[in-house]
Parts: sequence; C-alpha cells; structure tokens
Amino acid sequence: MPTSQPLASKDASLFRQVLKCYEQKQYKKGLKTCEQILRKNPKHGETLAMKGLITNSLGKTEEAFAIAKDALRQDMKSHVCWHVYGLLYRSEKNFEESIKAYKMALRFEPDSQQILRDLALLQIQMRNYDGYVETRKSILQTRPQLRQNWTAVAIAYHLAGQLDEAEKVLIKYEETIQGNVPKWDIEHWETALYKNRIIADSGDIGRALEHLESMAKNCLDKVALLELRAEYLLKLGRKEEAQQAYRILLDRNPERRDYYAELEKAMGIAPKNRHEAKAIYDEYANKFERSDAPRRIPLDFLEGDEFREAANAYLSAKLKKGVPSTFANIKALYADDAKRQTIFELVNSYNEAQEQGKENGETNGSGPSQFRLWTLYFLAQHYDHYRTRNMDKALECLNKALKLAPNTVEFHMTTARVYKHAGDLQKAAQKMDEARILDKSDRYINTKTAKYQLRNDQNEDALKTMSLFTRNEANGGPLGDLLEMQCVWYVAEDAESYMRQNLLSLALKRYQSLWEIFEVWTEDQFDFHSFSLRKGQIRAYIDMLKWEDSLRSHPMFVRAALGAIGAYIKLADMPCLAQGALANGDAARYEKMTDAERKRALKKAKKDAQKAQERAAALAAAKKDDKNKNAQVAEGEVKKEDPDPHGIALARTETPLEEAAKWLKPLLEMSPERLEAQIAGFEVQIRRRQWTLALNCLNKARELATPEDPRVHEMVVRLRHAVNTLPAEEEFKAPETREALLEEVEKILSKDTELSAYNDEFLEKNKDSAAHVRSALRIRSVLKPEAKKDMSPLLSVLDIESTTLDEANEGLKLLYSFGVDENGYKTKAAAKFPLAKVFKGAK
Amino acid sequence: MDIRLLRASDIPHVQQTNITNLPENYFLKYYLYHALSWPQLSYVAVDLSHTPKHPNEPPKIVGYVLAKMEEEPADGVQHGHITSLSVMRTHRRLGLADKLMRQSQKAMVESFGAKYVSLHVRVSNKAALHLYRDTLQFEVEKVEPKYYADGEDAYSMKKDLSFLEEEVEEDDEVGACCDHDHGDGHHHHHHAELDGDVPPPKEREKLKTVRVGRILGVSDLQEVDGRSGGA
Repeated sequence: MPTSQPLASKDASLFRQVLKCYEQKQYKKGLKTCEQILRKNPKHGETLAMKGLITNSLGKTEEAFAIAKDALRQDMKSHVCWHVYGLLYRSEKNFEESIKAYKMALRFEPDSQQILRDLALLQIQMRNYDGYVETRKSILQTRPQLRQNWTAVAIAYHLAGQLDEAEKVLIKYEETIQGNVPKWDIEHWETALYKNRIIADSGDIGRALEHLESMAKNCLDKVALLELRAEYLLKLGRKEEAQQAYRILLDRNPERRDYYAELEKAMGIAPKNRHEAKAIYDEYANKFERSDAPRRIPLDFLEGDEFREAANAYLSAKLKKGVPSTFANIKALYADDAKRQTIFELVNSYNEAQEQGKENGETNGSGPSQFRLWTLYFLAQHYDHYRTRNMDKALECLNKALKLAPNTVEFHMTTARVYKHAGDLQKAAQKMDEARILDKSDRYINTKTAKYQLRNDQNEDALKTMSLFTRNEANGGPLGDLLEMQCVWYVAEDAESYMRQNLLSLALKRYQSLWEIFEVWTEDQFDFHSFSLRKGQIRAYIDMLKWEDSLRSHPMFVRAALGAIGAYIKLADMPCLAQGALANGDAARYEKMTDAERKRALKKAKKDAQKAQERAAALAAAKKDDKNKNAQVAEGEVKKEDPDPHGIALARTETPLEEAAKWLKPLLEMSPERLEAQIAGFEVQIRRRQWTLALNCLNKARELATPEDPRVHEMVVRLRHAVNTLPAEEEFKAPETREALLEEVEKILSKDTELSAYNDEFLEKNKDSAAHVRSALRIRSVLKPEAKKDMSPLLSVLDIESTTLDEANEGLKLLYSFGVDENGYKTKAAAKFPLAKVFKGAK
Repeated sequence: MDIRLLRASDIPHVQQTNITNLPENYFLKYYLYHALSWPQLSYVAVDLSHTPKHPNEPPKIVGYVLAKMEEEPADGVQHGHITSLSVMRTHRRLGLADKLMRQSQKAMVESFGAKYVSLHVRVSNKAALHLYRDTLQFEVEKVEPKYYADGEDAYSMKKDLSFLEEEVEEDDEVGACCDHDHGDGHHHHHHAELDGDVPPPKEREKLKTVRVGRILGVSDLQEVDGRSGGA
C-alpha cells in the first residue's frame, strides 16, 4: 500500500518479516527486526508503529503508546500507523478512541477489509447499530461475492430495528443463487430460518408460516421448524392444526413442559379447567412408559380423591425405583395445604406398612428394599421442609435409614442439611465431610462439603476441600484455578463468609473477582461477531447478543453487587473496618471507645487480618513450586502479578461510596425490578447526599413493595428526616433544587409529621413481625439515639412461634450494630434455637 | 423436570453445574463456542420444583449434555461428539442422561448428517462406563493413553446412529415419529457422576484453531487474510 515513506526493497522485506513475527507471536525477534529497519530509517513511521504494537504485546502499554504516537508524528498519512493506534486503544478497551483511530485509518485506506472489519467488530460490540450498518455495507460493496457479507448487512439492519431492509437484503442475495441448494448447505438453510424469524418479528405471522412451509422439506433444524410451525398455527388461531403440531413435538420429546402447556392452549383448555386435560396426560403417560412430565403435571391440577390416586401412583413408583429426587419433584405442591397433607399421609402409610412388615418378621436376607430406604429418606426431607419442620423426626428417619444402609451418601448429606437448618453450622459441615469421605471420587459431594465449610466460615478448609478437584499447579494455586474456571458460586460464598467475619478487604477482593469475571463474559462475545458469520448459525448468534445485553441481570451479578455495595457502605460508616476485622460488637462500639480501647481493638484487628493474610500467602506459596514446574508461558508474554492479593488497597479506598456507585449503576440498569437493588441505591445515594437520586430509588421501591413494607417505611422516614434537617448551606446541583426536592418528599410524607410518633405507631401496629420491628428500631435509633437501649420489642419477637432462625439472627445483628448488650437476647434465642451456633456463649 | 434445548442464557448455569459435578471444566467461552457452532445439539434438564420468586431467577439446571460435531473427522466420516454430560447426584435414576442424549443424537443426525457419536471417559470412572456402555449402548473403540491432563487414560467410545437415520426418513414421509424408546427399562441408572470430556488444555488449543482465541487478528496489517476464505 502506498505510504509517504517507501522503504528500500531489502528493508521492505524485513518489514514483511516483522508482520509475520507479530502474527506468530515471535515478539522478541519482531522487535529486533524493527530495530534493524530503524537503524537505516529511524523515522520510518510504520516500522515504529509495529514496534509499538509488539511492545504492547509484551505488556509495556505506556511505552507502546509513546512509540505509536511517535509513529503517527512521523507518518500522519499512514493507515498502518492509525490502525495500530486503534489496536492499542482496543487492547485497553477504550473502544471509543479505537473507533476514531480506525476511522482515520480508513480515510487513507478506505477499502481495507481488515480495518473495516475491525471497525465493524467494535461497533457491534458497542451496539452502535447505525455505524455497524454503514460499515457492513462498505464491506459488502468491496466483497459482494461472500454470502456472509450479505447476511451481516441483514443482521445490522435487523438489530437497528429495520426489519424490512433486513429482509430485502436477504432476498437480494437469494435471487443470485442458481440451481439447487445442496442438502447439507447449513449456512443456506440456517439463513432461511433467520429470514423466517425476521418475517415473524415484523408481525406478519401468516406470511411467516407460508415461508416456513415453503422450506419445510429441506430445513435441517427440525426442532426449530416444528416449534415455529406450531407456534405460528396457534397464533393464527388454527387450533386443530396447532394441536397436531404440538403432538408431533411431544412425540419427539415427551419431557418438554412448554409443549404440554401450548397443547392445552390449542385445545382451548382454560387455566381453571385443567382437569379437562387429564386425558391427554394419561395418553402420553401410557405411550411413554419412562416419561415423568405426563405423570407429574396432573398433580398440579387434580384435587381430592383423584389427586390422592395420582399422587399415590407417582410417589410409590418413584420410591420403589429408589429415585432420590422424589421429594424435590413434588415439593412445589407443598404450598397447597390439602395436597401437602395428602402426600404426607400417603408416604407415612408406606412407612407404617413397612414397619408392620418388619414386625411380622420380614428379613429374608436380601437387605432392605429400595422402597423402604427411600420412603424413610422422603419422610426425613418432609420433616426438614420449612413448612413441616421437625428436626427430631427428621433425624429419626435418617438414623433408621442409615442403620439399614450406612454408606448411602444421600442420607449423610441430608443429615448435614438438617443440622444446617437448625443453625449448627459446625456439625453440618462435619456431617457433610463424612458424606464426602464415603465417595471421594464424586465432585458433587465434594462441592457440597466446601459450601458447608464456607457457611461455617472455614475458608481455609473449604479451599483445601476444593483443591482435591482443582488444577493446583495453576497460577495462584487452587483459588487461581477456581477464578480462572469462573467458579462463581465459590467466590460469592467466600466473599459472604468474609463479610460475616468483617474481613472487608478479602470480601472486596472476592467481589472484585466477580466483577472481573463478568467483564470477561462481556468480552467473550467479541470473537463471535466474526466467528458466527463464518459459521452461519445466525439465530444462535442473535440470541447470544440479546443475552449479553442483559448479562448483568444475572442473579450472581445482583448478589455480588448487593454484597459489594454492602461492604462499601460499611466502610463508609465505619472507616476503622479498613484496618481489618473488628469482632462483631467492637465495630459498633468503636465510636464510643476510649482511645486506649480503640488502640487495643485496632491492634487486635490488624493482627488478625495479618494472620489471615499470612495463612493465605503461605497456602499460595506452597503451590507456587508446583506451578513453576508446570507453567508454560508463551515467549515474552508477561504474567502480571497481582499487586493487591488480599484486597488491602481495595479496603483502604478514600471514596468507598464512589466505589459502591460503580456497582450500583449496572445493578439499577439491569435489575430495576428488584426491591433490594432500589434499597441499595437509596443507601448509597443518601450517604452521598444525592437527594434526588435517593428519592428516585425510594419511589421505585414504593412501586415494587406493599405500603406496609418495613424497608420502605424506613426509607420514607429517613429521607423525611434528612430533608427536615438539611442545613441552609446545602448545595444543590442543577437541575436539582431544594424546592423541587421538598415538594417531592412532601408527596410521600408531610413535613408536619411527628416522625417519632409516626414510627412508634408503625411499631405498635406491626410488633408481631420481626422485620417490621427491626426497621422501627433502626428508625428510632436515628431519631432518638438515647432510645437505643430499649430492645424489648426485639426480645418479644422471639416469643412468636413463627419467628425463624434467620429472623432471630437478623435481630442479633441489629444489636451488634447498635453496640447494645446482646447477652439477654442471646440467652432467650438460644432457648428457642438450642442448636444454633450464633446464640452460643451468652455471658 | 423439563428437557429442553440449551439457550445462551443457560450457559453460566450449565457451567456451574459442570464444575459442581465434574473434574473437567471449561471457560464460559467454550460453552459459547458450542452453542454458537452447533446450537441444535446441547440440551439441559431443568428442575421446576419451586416457583420463581422474581422474573430473573436462574433456571435450576440439574443435568446437561454439551455436544458438538467433530470439525475435522480423522476418518472423514461426519460424526458428533459428546464434550460433557452430567447429572446432579440428587437427580439420579430419573433417566435424565438417556433423555438428554436422545435429543442430542437425533439432532446430530438431522441437522448435521452424523453417522455416529463418540465420547471419552476416564478408565477409572466405572459409573460412567456403565452408563455409556450398558444404558446408552456405546461401545469401547480403543483406549487412548494419557488422554487427560493428569495422565489418566481414556476409553474412546462410539455409538452408531444409523438407526436414527431410518427414523428421520420415516418422519419425512408421515410427518410424525413414533416412540423410539429402546431397551433398558430395567436398568438402574447410576449416572450422577458421568464424566466430562477433553482436558481443558487440549480444548483450549482447539479454540485457537477455530480462531475464537482472544488474541488479535494478527493479519490485520496485510491483505493476506485467510479468513475471507475462498473469496
């Protein structure tokens, strides 16, 4: 390509060598060759650009940018220099600057396929659909012979919402096809299905059906074909045919719930009259001897004797076969009192008959039957279910089962679960570990053990357990492997455990890892923008884009965001926590401590944190030797050491609320329908004195919750109180004004409200609900700090039969946060929950 | 239980199920690679035992089959490959592995003309061997020495799929297909711990050959682009 700085032929061939070296990742050789050219041509821009690009690949980003800028100075009109500049920005994920640089490159080399493609990739990654349409059109103009270039333009139009343009492009290409399309031309038949989706998306279902039928014979994706056909027929009200279509699908896959639901619709069965569908399910149950769905679904709508009969058939067949998940399969029915009772009566009757059989002298030497074992197991799970919990009976059933079959892992697992529900986390973890030892080759039970250990805050033990299945030679040892393999459940549980221990630095470190995993998952789509065009599986690609668009609505992200925001709020409220963990009560008392006490508490906290970190470091070091033996690092590639492995720097942030706001943004964008998200938003914004933003969260929360929701009550009173006590010099940034704020808050709760009385009234009205009581007490502590000591409503909650262990635990946490003596509460709670670890040790 | 095609949004959950059950694990991107290359072949079993509390509640995936087509079959014969299959220990004996496999195999034949399906299993994994050989009618073809990263050998197994081909033809004629439940009513399935497949390093290597690697598209600066393929 023409450049303002042509090289002599020998140097030009060296330059080609540089490109090759870069391509093959021979970075050192590439650099040497650059230097060789530069010796004779020190101002050769494109060589400098390549030097910059290679330097960047070696991990020296800053230096790379300096060289690339120099390259541009030498040769402003070289597309290579601009392209490299764009590539550097891209590697920094500064896509906007990168796009600008690519566009400059295209000025000098408008037809460069590579630059156009790179630009297109960034535009689609950034969801700049209009830009993407333009770039894909340019690519099509230069290479119209490739089908994928046509498809790409259609995709661009489709995403930009121009369905008719998208379809036109696909038709235009189709018209150029001559002769018969081969049977296995996957790209062709997939593109046809894609076109069908575009037609359907445009709303013309009749035409979509017509088009679908025109290709039915050749379509390779039979499931998609049959599903779309059935869907269109139903939408068009052609119910007879729709029924037929869903029956064909059910014959292929009798375990697909949606097919049954749609078939019911096609038959015109009203949700209230599902009984009419019974014949269908009977038919399929008979037709497919081993199918579950047609047997299980009718249990949802049958009542009375019919339910009893069907449930009996279902349960006894499953239990006789020894299906461990029998309880899980019917658990959803427990919401219905009558059904729950019937199920219990049935299984209990099996149990009684079996016990009777034993008395009549059974044992014929073959050991216990599957039926006997799994009936006991079912009953144990029944007694462990929160609606029907009876710990003693649960353990009794499990012990009986264990006596009959001592090595059945499931029985040990459920024993552990029963202890977990009773709050004895120590014993739960221990029991789970016993189960693990029975089947060491099973990772499932290994995973469960690690999870239970984390719940009991045995972080090191948990990692050790996990390490039995991780690649421990990985960078960073077992934890490094878990992070690399994106084992998000573990990272989240670990973070939550550190939160419980007030080790905020390590908690933040784990949350940061989760943040990064989601960044990687966003980045992962990048390569598929070009890959999928080559593969031709367009519908799957579009589905992936849509999923990526809402990636951070993933419950794991929500969980991590709420956790991280909680940690930063704690840091903002109690900066002393950045120093390390303070024992639960100490954190709250800190403000009131004498200097000497503070020193002591901080010193202890520091020491504890240091110890924890040392242990973690030792663990990592032990694995490092292995790692060095096995590590294979590509030539010149730099492994960046983590400068803050324990999150100390994270916890020492000067601006915890700004950090929290970073998490808050995607949380509120992607999960605005989650009440917890709006509450987190309120908590962050009210601390940042962003009154209007806090108000917005409150208003959204009021839409999501009932008016009596305790958390909403809390936010309402706090905002009212904050606004009442706003200093005269409080600054408001336009368009926010004091007047507008006051006006909006007035709509929620009048300024004339006597807040203490209002709150007391709320407390009185809701004194039987643990959550309401906690909210009211928190408000009281804000309005009348001296009233903190009266914790009697909290203790009264413990007298309520239905108060759960979780609720009781939340009450304890409240006491800790107030720094109020917790011994009386603990004693009372311990009497109610004798096994619960958290209430032990009252003085 | 619900047996259905894997969707993009299922992928993180399938990944968690995999790392919960099996020692062979993969990046999310590797699942994407399957879902975007052969979207017809991978299936999930979803537990529906409780009603979701909010709309974004994740599906509880208790089993999955992650499958692909062999890209460059050494024997020149189109065939499918099971990359990973697992069922949660808590959901054994429901025949889930069989049900998942059946959907996947049918799609291999219909959508890609597969003649057979292959897979690897650790020689020490007796439960998985039992499942594949006795329940799913695979045959051990050979032992591949040191197939796994930790040095363990693998059985290379395969199953002929021509019986499905006949079925497909029948479908075309009558527009419906009959119950193809075959054999096995009596087996107790012991499959919770079904083995996954290829050791991660190998798979990552393969990723590069199809250019999903995260490294830049190298040939940028020269118009010698192999990717424009045949243009």
